[in-house]
Amino acid sequence: MALAIRNLLHDKLRFGLSVVGIGLAIMLILLLNGLTDGLSLQVSAYIDHAPGSVIVGQANVKNLLGGSSFLSATTVADISNTTGVERAIPILLQSAIIDLDAKKEFIYLIGYEPGKGAGPWQLTEGHEPTTDEEIVLDRVKAEQHNLKVGSKLKFLGRQFNIVGLSQDTLSWMSSFVFIRKSAAETLFGLPPGTSSFIFITPVAGGSAEVIAERIQQKISGVQVTPKNAIRQNDINLFVGVIGIPLNLMVVIAFVVGILVIGLIIYTATMDRQREYGVLKAIGARNSFFYRVVTTQAVIVAIGGAVSGLVLALLAGQLIMVLRPQFLVALQPLVLGEALIIGLLMALLAAWLPARYLAKLAPAEIFRK
Amino acid sequence: MRLAMLYLAFRNLFRHKIRLLIAVGGIALALVLILALDAIVTGIEDQFTTYIDNSGADIFVAQEGIRNLHMVSSALPDLIVAQVKQVPGVETVTPILYISTTLDTGKDSHLVYLIGLPPTATAGKPWRIAAGIAIPEAGQIVVDSDMAKRDNLKLGDTIKVFGQPFKIAGLSEKTANLLNAIAFISLADFARLRGSTNTVSFVLTTIKSGQLAQAVAGQIEQQVPGVTALARSDFADQERKVVIDMSADIINIMNLVGFLIGLTVMALTIYTATISLRTEYGLLKSVGAHNSHLYRVVLYQATANTLLGFALALLITFLLALAVPFFNSRLTLEITFVSLLKVGLLSLVIAAISAVLPIRQIAKLDPTKVFSGGKV
Repeated sequence: MALAIRNLLHDKLRFGLSVVGIGLAIMLILLLNGLTDGLSLQVSAYIDHAPGSVIVGQANVKNLLGGSSFLSATTVADISNTTGVERAIPILLQSAIIDLDAKKEFIYLIGYEPGKGAGPWQLTEGHEPTTDEEIVLDRVKAEQHNLKVGSKLKFLGRQFNIVGLSQDTLSWMSSFVFIRKSAAETLFGLPPGTSSFIFITPVAGGSAEVIAERIQQKISGVQVTPKNAIRQNDINLFVGVIGIPLNLMVVIAFVVGILVIGLIIYTATMDRQREYGVLKAIGARNSFFYRVVTTQAVIVAIGGAVSGLVLALLAGQLIMVLRPQFLVALQPLVLGEALIIGLLMALLAAWLPARYLAKLAPAEIFRK
Repeated sequence: MRLAMLYLAFRNLFRHKIRLLIAVGGIALALVLILALDAIVTGIEDQFTTYIDNSGADIFVAQEGIRNLHMVSSALPDLIVAQVKQVPGVETVTPILYISTTLDTGKDSHLVYLIGLPPTATAGKPWRIAAGIAIPEAGQIVVDSDMAKRDNLKLGDTIKVFGQPFKIAGLSEKTANLLNAIAFISLADFARLRGSTNTVSFVLTTIKSGQLAQAVAGQIEQQVPGVTALARSDFADQERKVVIDMSADIINIMNLVGFLIGLTVMALTIYTATISLRTEYGLLKSVGAHNSHLYRVVLYQATANTLLGFALALLITFLLALAVPFFNSRLTLEITFVSLLKVGLLSLVIAAISAVLPIRQIAKLDPTKVFSGGKV
């Protein structure tokens, strides 16, 4: 142990650089995981705050944010009148792209009936829309485009007055925008009373499963899904889109970490090959060298994991301050995650130097 | 002297092949972080405009304020179709209905952009058909062949759209992207499913020969109220802008992290290579080599290492571009010249900065200690 530490700290600058290098690789992995978890929380924010425990959409529609759903006014009335339904709150939801300051903004436009629920759950300023010409925007998005309560916003050929700013209603991919349901029907050219989804609250003591089954059997052309299942489907949809590139980045960062540890341990081993040769000549076993190399790798990895964690926390905060649309959700177990990643890197990186030392012939070293 | 320093730099570089391999691998992977992400985003941009590029339409007419196809909902009264047809310079008009939805194949659910086509569609229909027909009739659907293959579907099989059964009558090619696929049903079926019969989403327009698409689009906007008309190339540009705007921040973050990792790996490598030869550098100093000569050696080493890393990064990214579609047929990597230029310049910056630490070490070297056996 003492030998391993001495070897490593022989050149403190080199040790410091390697800890930073591994730290950056681990930081990247933690950041990517934090961004993914943050995105999951952001995209499910609306559904998490929406009323009810069961969601009804058009047949086959099992996502809230994945596609369109249309339910006629008659269907909505039939669902509301189903036995065991305490509240049935309809919304009209459509994705849209709006041009703000020559920038494309991807939004989910939610048409709802103020007073019933399923609108913005926290307003930092202003009030909910009371007429079909009023709109509530996300606070951060509004700030980014110099919009405030009282500003005008032209959208799909119609002029809206911004009357409220909502909190926690955006992600780096999209944001939620709220108008009255009747305004959304007109905007999208749909017959009056058309809805996309209905949030169902069962009567007190009623079972969500029983209500779901009853609606599914009674009314044709609908899809009844538990809220939690829809929430998970939405998360899978968003995370699935970015999952492939993110996983590629994680693999690259992991291999970079292995290479950095490998480089530092290999160099430390090469620098001390004469001393190792002497130790071998006087009878040191290979297991001793494996221990030295592995200890070195583990020490560097732990240093890298701790620096990676600190860097991830700092970088996460910095990103969220500079770009509030990003949520970096680092979980409480992140230290353990960093250590496990670091140790895995260490074990893989120690392989090459350990193999070199195992094959080291003392006579060769002296001849050199 | 310059050549001698160059020779020395290369000798140093190739002295420890494993160290060289690790260093070049490290920098290469850091650069791959940047190159691969750029290539993925460019691939997505191209996929996003595939339908527009191959639609056969010269102009896309949409609801006022709509300048995109993906992730939007456009609703135009069907009276508009005749009005667009009347605009001078317009050859044909094809109204389509369009939404994003889910297809239930019985085995899986697939996100699709569903397009409703009239029987006489001259634009907007699938442009490559692997089997069956291109324009579906009532109760029929044309789906992407890759999606069909995934679920082992063939012509004649039934799949559900909004709970309604449709018989597969055609298999289209190149109609899927990372997010979803495109499926086609008849305009009448679409209107029935949507519960609205007097609305269309877009009017795909072709123009008479000799006409300019931008000019005719301007005429349409002037003569038909409540619409936005864009020439195909402008519409595709707007679509690319969505991808660019949505991914800009995440790309900047990844680029910065990739740059920092590359910089640290390179700094570590050059520093390690310099320190392991400090005695030799001390000797060179003692026999009259100027610091500037030795700095040059370090810079040559850093540049050579980085260029090798850049070349390896290119190779890895090209291999990824070839290999990734085999594992995920909807993900394509497109490497652009701009991306290469950006990463190439970034590599040179990395090389220059990473040489600073070793140069400081060399500047501090005391040649007299080389011979006295002290720490140099």
